[in-house]
Amino acid sequence: MENVEKALQHFHALKLKQIMPATSSIPVVEADSAVINVLKILRTRHHVWVVKNRKNMELCGVIRYLDTMDILLPPEVHKFRLGMTSAVMKSLLGGAQKAEEIMEKNVLTIEEDATVLEALTKMKRYKTQVLAIVKGDTLVSEISLRILINELLRLLRVGGTSWSQHGSSSQSELH
Amino acid sequence: MEPTWILLTIGIALIFAKIGDSIIERFELPGVLGELLMGMMLGNLVYFGVVSSQYLPITVNTSEVIDFLAKLGIIFLLFLGALDTDISMLKRTGVTATISTVLGVFVPLILGWFALMEMGYPSREAFAGGVLLTATSIGLTVRVMMDLGVLRSEVGAASLSASVMDDFLGIALVIFAVGSGSLTGLGIKIAVFFLITGVIGWFAVDYYVKFAERLHVEKGILGLVLGMMFLFAALAENWFAAAIEGSFMAGLILAKLPEGKKLMEDVRAIGYGFLIPIFFVHTGAMLNLKVFESYSALTLAAVLTVIAVVGKIAGRGFGAWITAWGRGRAFLFNPRNFKMSLQMGIGSIPRTEVALVDLMVAIHGRAIPPADAPKFIAATLIFITVSVLVTPPMLKWAFKEDIEKRVESRASSKVERIQETKQKIKELKS
Repeated sequence: MENVEKALQHFHALKLKQIMPATSSIPVVEADSAVINVLKILRTRHHVWVVKNRKNMELCGVIRYLDTMDILLPPEVHKFRLGMTSAVMKSLLGGAQKAEEIMEKNVLTIEEDATVLEALTKMKRYKTQVLAIVKGDTLVSEISLRILINELLRLLRVGGTSWSQHGSSSQSELH
Repeated sequence: MEPTWILLTIGIALIFAKIGDSIIERFELPGVLGELLMGMMLGNLVYFGVVSSQYLPITVNTSEVIDFLAKLGIIFLLFLGALDTDISMLKRTGVTATISTVLGVFVPLILGWFALMEMGYPSREAFAGGVLLTATSIGLTVRVMMDLGVLRSEVGAASLSASVMDDFLGIALVIFAVGSGSLTGLGIKIAVFFLITGVIGWFAVDYYVKFAERLHVEKGILGLVLGMMFLFAALAENWFAAAIEGSFMAGLILAKLPEGKKLMEDVRAIGYGFLIPIFFVHTGAMLNLKVFESYSALTLAAVLTVIAVVGKIAGRGFGAWITAWGRGRAFLFNPRNFKMSLQMGIGSIPRTEVALVDLMVAIHGRAIPPADAPKFIAATLIFITVSVLVTPPMLKWAFKEDIEKRVESRASSKVERIQETKQKIKELKS
């Protein structure tokens, strides 16, 4: 029990930059990518970051697993009322073709110098399981519950050697 | 008023609102019409003496509680509408969308204003009548354009980007109807209001949300955000007798933050789960069917309906036409310019929520006096219904050629693909 407490204390104080995955390993598409390419990624990942282009990695939005419901549903399922129209625009049948047309533009972000505790608090507060790690407008990495669980287990020295891999981006986390 | 009957009325209003919404949605019409119809039915049970207003205080001025809940409904409706707004779309609004929106707002406003003055209404009341005709409800147009497969066309994109500014103008103009004092005084008040809520709010809202985050209390951010909305609403109510301006501005400045967007589900739950249906049912219940016995009510409804349809087509259509869709003078008299501008104009006919909100603000702000309120309520409900009924067939007619062309090009590309495949099979066989 004492070990767990110690591990958790250390865990909470960790900086995100110590555990975040490399930019190259996170799921990213460019804003003008086809929706079909996004769906291909979402077969195995539970979110995709949308950037202006891969060179500058300027963060534009995110498409999460749950958003696919809006993408796949016919537009008439949604209500066309004041304050409820944004989801309608994501429908494939409504003509959405590019990633930028189906993404959620306002992305919850955190800085790499923030601690794990701060990231967890933000996730809990806004009921989200992944945050973009940014420097200004640039996407540098991500932090998800899956990464955090992996890191905690690594600190507790359970799960075998595979847990020593920092920042393995999730393939099965729930959103 | 006994609390039992107020609670019973709230319960009945909510249940009937959702049932009405569901029934009307099945006919592919805006659910708000169903909520209004249910309200009309409940209200007229009282007006025709079937139920005493003491037991069903849904009609106006019978229960302060229900009246106030309906007012909160308007505040939440506008807050949600602004929160769902894509501010970047406003920045991207092109010349065609901007000019057509401005003319699409001011042509029906001026036509309505002068027509009502000709009919003998005082200038302030006539202006309020004109304001009711200004704001388009883009939802129905989006649905029909999606069905027709033309939403991503040039006209569809321009209509969408115009809708944000259209709502903003429709909501802002009502200040001039209900605001009191000289025009200069009102202008200064408006400038100061937008400076406080818009400019200062825009820059300070990040710090405000961060402060809310640091409180670490259950639903602390939601509480503080709603608090800010009510402060803005109070300021607007005090200065212009239009609380909606405050809630709309609060929604707009929060819409830029991801944290604000994340609160939408909570706000929607309160709004669409409780307060907004009460507002629509309450508004429907204000329509006493006996008003149609009066010739002047029917005339007012007819005039406003004609201006609502013709004014928008003419205003927005002409606005789009004179810009020639950014293709230069040569395109000005091109039949395609006429066609696209007509499509743009027809797409702006539907009116629903904002017209009702403006109506309620005008009635509460006494721009429409109590004696004339029933006539204006009847006229507004009629032009709303007509506008949502005529838009789908008119849009289908306006886009007929585009749809036929799209079907033809799809068919020809299919034929091409079949021929290519046949050719490949032939080559393989040989």
